[in-house]
Amino acid sequence: MSGADVIGPDDRSPLRVEGLSLLTSRDILLDRLSFAVEPGEVLALSGAAGAGKTLLLRALSGLAPKGVTVLGDIHIQGRRILVTQDGALDPLRTIGAQFTELLAHQSGMDERTALRCAAEALERFQVPAAARRLALHPHELGEAMRWRAALALAMAAEPALLLADAPAAALDPTQRVRLLSDLAAWTREAGTALLLAGRPQPDPIQADPVPSGLADRRLILAQGRLEAPEEEPTPAPPPVEPAPSGPPILSVRDLRVAFPLGRSWRGAERWLTVVDGLSIALAEGETLALLGETGSGKSVLARAILRLVPPVGGQVSWLGTDLAAAPPEAMRRARGDLQILFPDPLAAFDPLMTIGAQFAETLESLRPSRSTAQSAAQSTADRAARLAEALEEVGLPAAVLDLHPGSLRPAEAARAGLARALLPEPRLLVCDEPAATLDGSERADFLALLQAIRRRRRLALLYATQDAAEGLGIARRALVLLLGRIVESADSVVLATGARHPYSRALIAAAGLDRPALHGDPPSPLRPPTGCPLRLRCPLAHDGCAQVPPTLDPVAPGHRVACHVAQDSAQEDGKAP
Amino acid sequence: MHGPAGTESRTDPHWRDGPWQKAGQRLTAHRPAAAGLTVLAALMLAVAAGLVAGGGPVGAALAAGHQSLSFTLLAGLGGAALGLLWAAAAVALGERAERAMMAPAAALTGLPLALALPLVGGLLGPQRGLAPMVMVAALIAAPAVAVIARDELRALLRREFLSAAQAAGIPNGRRLRRHILPNAVLPLAAAAWTALPRALMAESLASLLGLGLPAGVTGWGTAIGAAARAGDAVALAGPALLLALTLWALHGVGDGMRLAFATAFSTTAGGRR
Ligand code: SF4
Repeated sequence: MSGADVIGPDDRSPLRVEGLSLLTSRDILLDRLSFAVEPGEVLALSGAAGAGKTLLLRALSGLAPKGVTVLGDIHIQGRRILVTQDGALDPLRTIGAQFTELLAHQSGMDERTALRCAAEALERFQVPAAARRLALHPHELGEAMRWRAALALAMAAEPALLLADAPAAALDPTQRVRLLSDLAAWTREAGTALLLAGRPQPDPIQADPVPSGLADRRLILAQGRLEAPEEEPTPAPPPVEPAPSGPPILSVRDLRVAFPLGRSWRGAERWLTVVDGLSIALAEGETLALLGETGSGKSVLARAILRLVPPVGGQVSWLGTDLAAAPPEAMRRARGDLQILFPDPLAAFDPLMTIGAQFAETLESLRPSRSTAQSAAQSTADRAARLAEALEEVGLPAAVLDLHPGSLRPAEAARAGLARALLPEPRLLVCDEPAATLDGSERADFLALLQAIRRRRRLALLYATQDAAEGLGIARRALVLLLGRIVESADSVVLATGARHPYSRALIAAAGLDRPALHGDPPSPLRPPTGCPLRLRCPLAHDGCAQVPPTLDPVAPGHRVACHVAQDSAQEDGKAP
Repeated sequence: MHGPAGTESRTDPHWRDGPWQKAGQRLTAHRPAAAGLTVLAALMLAVAAGLVAGGGPVGAALAAGHQSLSFTLLAGLGGAALGLLWAAAAVALGERAERAMMAPAAALTGLPLALALPLVGGLLGPQRGLAPMVMVAALIAAPAVAVIARDELRALLRREFLSAAQAAGIPNGRRLRRHILPNAVLPLAAAAWTALPRALMAESLASLLGLGLPAGVTGWGTAIGAAARAGDAVALAGPALLLALTLWALHGVGDGMRLAFATAFSTTAGGRR
């Protein structure tokens, strides 16, 4: 953090930038940027990875890296504070000590007053028992709490300009959006100008935060220049596809996945249950989204279906065959039908083999060429043609076959991963956050490609994601998962407008950058609360929620919810004429 | 469509290089590693040349280097092999065996094992042969190698491409041969390298006390010990300097290998994060 007092000629804006350029001896990093932020305004700064957002914030706080020449004018009125991507707090001192030092240094406050101010600052972020947390060191706080402390500390300094570089990027959407809304409300009230930079990962700030009221304006940085935010076409609602009929091809019954945690001191085996008795059925060509945040079990579920993680109970059957009991040959045939996209496509390729070699290996393993009549040379030629074709389908040149994964960029790796999954001509594609490493237009392109291919090939799709908007846009039906259990299941259209479970509502609100109504932080999966797993964060919780865990019951045709309050209100709706 | 089209301009001129080349580039990009490699190569040449030319205090120091380095190489290779076997067996035998096998290794790395060599040297007495000393030095170096190698193997087994191979229906044997073993080579080499400086340390310490290399074989430690007892500063400087230089180079290369190889093959090291 750094303070500076640069007075512009009678101008009230905390920050005014005119013709700011950042140059190295070789490159122009930022090119003639001009903008201003008014007191109490929230400005979102977005742009792809490497567009120069972090650099701009550093230059604005006077911390331009060595070897970079800064041209143009930066007028700053009052104190400015930069909160870096890691939300740096001094690891060696308690939160309270850091507040006291800052406030004493700045406004000569004595310790008691300073601690009271600090507790008030933390309470603005709904930190329960704030005064007690002041005695803790940063590493004793969870990630979310550390971010609340870092931002509260920054705001306690009463800056005129707060520069926040991708704050709390690692948090789950429901926590993060809530934190950012609280921050924006506070800066507006205090008259602080807030410059909020997004991060290159899928990020709410990257999406347009203006309509939701999180930010007042939005700047887009592309190749070192500011671009006017283009009118984003409202995404066309997904074409309503007829509900696929026919018997389920995949059926999952009471699936349980748990990992042993060793023994407790009494000698009892302890288990971490990640997927807790889930049942799913999927018909030919059907699309299903699994929505949930960290610890919801969505990605373990995806892997357990393909038997990449061994389940401890329940059944997964593919076309009527129980995969657990399937002999190796049948299992291999099933693997050809069931393919998966991994969250980090680059890491899903063996770094030592070329893409072509790995494609060939997959093909040989899952669809071995049986043609003995053909000469070997011809079948090799056939194979090569087939690999090139697979790449063409995902928009990659055949030259990629000769590259090693280390030479691919994330967008290319994602497409190569898709091409590999399509090689054995699967019937079900399981996707585990397949676009997690992509941002902006690359992400949108990849998802559009995935959709187009799915339609063309009539693939069934299981799509796990924490971004509710993305999941609901892709799949016809959706399940919301919380701590390994389904809390709501409905058609996407129904869920998008009429979700009933408080957790589904929060997830959907966060995707639209509205402040989610859940308070506090998720409970540890090692000690889930009794009764309803959401109980400690739920705004509607009542005493009954602690005693009886809600069951997943229908509230309307095709719509099931596991929540006492939602079920009661649905019943009343039903009774009312 | 925005072009993820394979081959457009990239700033890195080496983007097309294979993974082995890239690992090499990362190793030599690490300054201490590059310097260490140069020093070690120069030292080998000098020792070889010194054996031929001989004579004088420099020749004597280089000749002592021959003994020290040979001992280090033998004991280091032995220790590395032992440690790698230890780790591989632990990982292969399943979780319970792994815990049982790795707990003693972890405990041993916490002890000042280097002191065991002079102890054994003293017990064996002046008539001790070279072979038992090499063996003990190897045993001293092994636990640390085992601990590092086990961590590397565990990390490797968690890598996503192994799940991808499983999803592609590749049988376990083939998965081991085609995917696990090749990817284990460099991280395990980095783990094995740590045996060399340990063996040299232990040998020099023991020889300094006169309890290391058997009588008649003069290593750097022996030479330093003799010079110190005689109060001969000039004779002390040569071997002491060479020993320090060698240890520094071994550590430098070890650090470089750890940085370049241990994370090397996770492609995520290639720029993101
Ligand atoms: S059952 Fe109770 S605690 Fe759980 S979501 Fe419903 S209202 Fe909230």
